[in-house]
Amino acid sequence: MRMRLPSGVFYQTYRQDQALWPTTFVKLRMWGLLVFLFVIFPQIASPYWLSLANLVGYTILSAMGVQLLIGYTGQVTLGHAAFIAAGAYTCAVLVLQYHVPYPLAFLAAMIVAGLWSMLFGLPSARVKGFYLIMTTMAAQFITVDFIITQYVSRIGERGHSFSLPPGTLSIGPWVIQSDRDIYYLMIALVTLSVLAMTNLARTRIGRAWMAIRDHDIAAEALGINIVAYKLLAFFMAGVFGGVAGAFWIANLYAVSPEHFTWSWSLWLVGVILIGGLGSNYGTIFGSLFMTLVMEALRNIVTWLTPFFPSLETSFLFVKEAAFGLAIILFLLYEPNGLAYRWWQIKNYIHLWPFSYE
Amino acid sequence: METFLQLVLTGIMVGSIYALVALGWVLIYKCSGVLNLAMGELTLIGAYVSLTFYTWGLPFPLALLATLIIGAILGILTERIFLRRLIGEPVLTIIMVTVGLSFFFRGLIELIWGTDTRVFHPPVFPYEPVRLGPVVIGQVYLWSFIAALALLGILAAFFRYTRWGLAMQAMADDEMAAMSLGISPKFVYAAAWAIAFMAAGVGGSLLGNINGVNISVGYLGLLVLPAVVLGGLNSIPGAIVGGIIIGVLQNLAGGYLDRFTPGGVKEIFPFVVMTLMLLIKPYGLFGWVRIERV
Repeated sequence: MRMRLPSGVFYQTYRQDQALWPTTFVKLRMWGLLVFLFVIFPQIASPYWLSLANLVGYTILSAMGVQLLIGYTGQVTLGHAAFIAAGAYTCAVLVLQYHVPYPLAFLAAMIVAGLWSMLFGLPSARVKGFYLIMTTMAAQFITVDFIITQYVSRIGERGHSFSLPPGTLSIGPWVIQSDRDIYYLMIALVTLSVLAMTNLARTRIGRAWMAIRDHDIAAEALGINIVAYKLLAFFMAGVFGGVAGAFWIANLYAVSPEHFTWSWSLWLVGVILIGGLGSNYGTIFGSLFMTLVMEALRNIVTWLTPFFPSLETSFLFVKEAAFGLAIILFLLYEPNGLAYRWWQIKNYIHLWPFSYE
Repeated sequence: METFLQLVLTGIMVGSIYALVALGWVLIYKCSGVLNLAMGELTLIGAYVSLTFYTWGLPFPLALLATLIIGAILGILTERIFLRRLIGEPVLTIIMVTVGLSFFFRGLIELIWGTDTRVFHPPVFPYEPVRLGPVVIGQVYLWSFIAALALLGILAAFFRYTRWGLAMQAMADDEMAAMSLGISPKFVYAAAWAIAFMAAGVGGSLLGNINGVNISVGYLGLLVLPAVVLGGLNSIPGAIVGGIIIGVLQNLAGGYLDRFTPGGVKEIFPFVVMTLMLLIKPYGLFGWVRIERV
């Protein structure tokens, strides 16, 4: 039984208190959101908006692992693109070379990326802070610039980048081909990932991660096996990376080492910093903001091109500079990210008209 | 044997340039605790600025001097505008601000100078190689080595004998004590950034003389990270030794290991060395060991 009193909602059992969607209003809101995302949006959206949504989804899936490592466990990683690449290439090679069905290849991609990430998480048992950043950076260069570019890309003599024949990827009888198919796959994956992340964060594992993030010595004193939990965090981050990578294959039907540069790793860290650390809202807001702002920037550039013809070629550079400036400004003026702003707005509405304090 | 000597000597000479850039990095870290990931872009800026002055017809030493001046101005501006607000912030924030700076600088560099490879034309150093005993060395390498050594010497003298250098050393050693003696931390931070920009600028223009100037010079600037990890983050001699070791190891890997792989060993070998070093001796050859039993 939940008591609704004029002064608020009171729970009578712990189960109610811990529920994922504690009140009827939240339940309605979440179901409404899901219906919108699964049913209404794909019907009304034009292909342009669908492909944009797919890009946002890919960014969310990619940033999820970074959020897990940096936002929840406090292990800074600057090489997450390496693990996404590991997933993407596992999936691509299995599908292309061994004709494994896509769902199986997807699972394999998750596991391989997780293990690969755990391998580079091993130094976290000994070092932390800046030194760990250096190892994840090394992971980026060793994985993408060496192993994948020099060895994996040569499998099957397909040239520098792999492209998949259309219609290769299917789940059972459902062939993933049009932007709408990709959208359905993306929204399902994003929903599952967000759910998984939320549940990881509110169980024993997530609390252990947050304890390590907040104070590792105190966490150890509380009996948390730091090394095991750090490695688990790296594994799970890699698994999310694998999901992102395997989705990328379906999104583009091609994969190339250039999709997983160090810049992409840094971009993902920027996304969660701008969104906000330590919450799913952060990941989602950051991905939405970065993708949409960059798209808006591109539209502005395209619109201005007739007046300044050189602008078209320099869009990439403008984008880089704008991203750099955005990170700096957010860190200087809104270090808690967009998620904090969202929380403030929500609180303001909740408490209205008594929004002082 | 001759190949070996050749590789080692060239390695030492390129390594001395890395040492110069690494010195700038360590200086910033020691004085203000900022872990700077924008070092590659600082080298790029130096390379392009000196190239621009050179193509305007300035003789190379003058172009280098102008690069130093511009570097100092940019360094002070960067510190004043972005980094000063971040004193005492968490490591991640500071690192990500420098990452933001690196994106920002790279975008601006590409906007201003484009992405095509540019070369110093006419070439600054003659093409004829020099014979040192059995070893043949390009003059570019030799002169870069001499220039880097000279600058390292000047910097060492600056730290040892000048008032400003001593103030910076004091600040790096003990911030509180230095401040109580009347040393201004703002001045020291600004000076550290200015010197880092200057060192990276000279390093960049020397590297640009060897391979031509394009975005990949920025990657070479990234190699300072393995160098400083190898030498120890807070050790100036460590930065110099680390830079030279990385240069030599990189050349040896390129010479001996490349034939066993499809290629690309030279580029990533420093990072492999760094990872191994982090696993075995994380505080580097000369760094301070911080004991934490967790």
